Amino acid sequence: MLKINNLSISIKDKKIIDNLNLNINEEEIHVLMGKNGIGKSSLAKVICGMGDYQVEGKIYFNNEDITNLSIDERSRLGIYLINQSPIEIEGVTNAEMLRMAVSEKTNNPINIFSFNKELESVCKRLELDKSFIHRDINVNCSGGEKKKIELMHMWILKPSLIILDEIDSGLDVDAIKLVAKNISEYLKEYKASLLLITHSNNLINNFKEFYTHVIDNEGKIIDGDKSLAIETLEKGFNNNIKTNIISE
Amino acid sequence: MNKILVSDIIDLESGTYLLEFTNNATINIKGNVIIYINNSKISNLTINLKDKSILNLYKLNLNNNLVVDINQFNNTKLSYNETLINKLDNELIINNNILGNNNNSNISVRCLANNKKSIIKGNIFIKDNTLGNDAKEEIRGINNGGLVQIEPNIICHTNEVSANHLTTIGYLNKMEINYLRSKGITKNNAKKILLNAFIKSNLSEEFREILGGDLSV
Repeated sequence: MLKINNLSISIKDKKIIDNLNLNINEEEIHVLMGKNGIGKSSLAKVICGMGDYQVEGKIYFNNEDITNLSIDERSRLGIYLINQSPIEIEGVTNAEMLRMAVSEKTNNPINIFSFNKELESVCKRLELDKSFIHRDINVNCSGGEKKKIELMHMWILKPSLIILDEIDSGLDVDAIKLVAKNISEYLKEYKASLLLITHSNNLINNFKEFYTHVIDNEGKIIDGDKSLAIETLEKGFNNNIKTNIISE
Repeated sequence: MNKILVSDIIDLESGTYLLEFTNNATINIKGNVIIYINNSKISNLTINLKDKSILNLYKLNLNNNLVVDINQFNNTKLSYNETLINKLDNELIINNNILGNNNNSNISVRCLANNKKSIIKGNIFIKDNTLGNDAKEEIRGINNGGLVQIEPNIICHTNEVSANHLTTIGYLNKMEINYLRSKGITKNNAKKILLNAFIKSNLSEEFREILGGDLSV
């Protein structure tokens, strides 16, 4: 599904990711870990076509070279990012934005009645009051509500690759459980793949199996399975990590 | 709602009015009045708020040069909301004259400069020997290929007054555009959504229903 070949990312001539290779196949979960400021969020943004980075290498999505595609083109292909701090937009409601997004993705007009029904059902699933449908995007929302709203968008836009950038930061235990449950259900229902960027075991404990990639201090990637994530969380990023390298 | 064609001087008492104009006009307000004005091509408008009157005015201005004189006497309350979308160079001058005591004034202008220049002058004059007046002015502009020039001006001839203004001129927020694009919306449509949001922020729900459609184009 997502194939990254020899990707290097620099910002203002400083290299932050060096020669990264990564394959994410259908229905796979991958966890990306690394110290603060090591380049995890930059990688997520580069996959989505965001930010002012200098990028070398290639990114393929479903065998299509997307390296030079715009943010919205990549999104319409099915790549979806949830940031740790979703922004607020005054004057634009969730429903208004989603109607436009779905209409652009499908090239079809929206049936308002069934669209609203779908939104209401998603709100129920997320334990989110349905009044949020017609509220301005993320305006006057708590951190937990913002994450739920981003998940609401995900359920409606139906992406095939989800990138979660520290979605668990600032969430309480119950909210993390709800997010994990929703993500798991979504992955199962839509046979989607997940790239999860996290610092904590709060969210990853909810997934049975996954691949782990740890960015070291030189910007190189160490690959492993779930045990690598657990070991990294126990010992920290500064200790030597013994890993079972996954053969590709 | 009362739909009225105004040609010269009109007295309005409590109610909601949609006004159209054939000439420059004077409106005298008495009671609690709501006025909607959709793109009238007049160059001078005078509004007099009689004692104890309340006026909520929403106005859409698509191009023309306009001077508005608003006179408040005693114990009046004004909410003046003008939305200016330019496709031609134009100038809007609002003179809010506070001539008596215990008046409240709130002037809000949004200007979207589409490839042309708009000059907005918001003048508040507070007369000497007056008491208990509170005046606010908020003028915001977006340069959408054009240019907004704002000149706020508050002249107080008394110390017993509260008067302030807020002015912002800018471009569309790149982070907001990219956020919408990350949901699959094209750049042009993302801009269109944000421009509409900017314009809508100064229009009441009822006025939006009267206007209908897409205003930013």
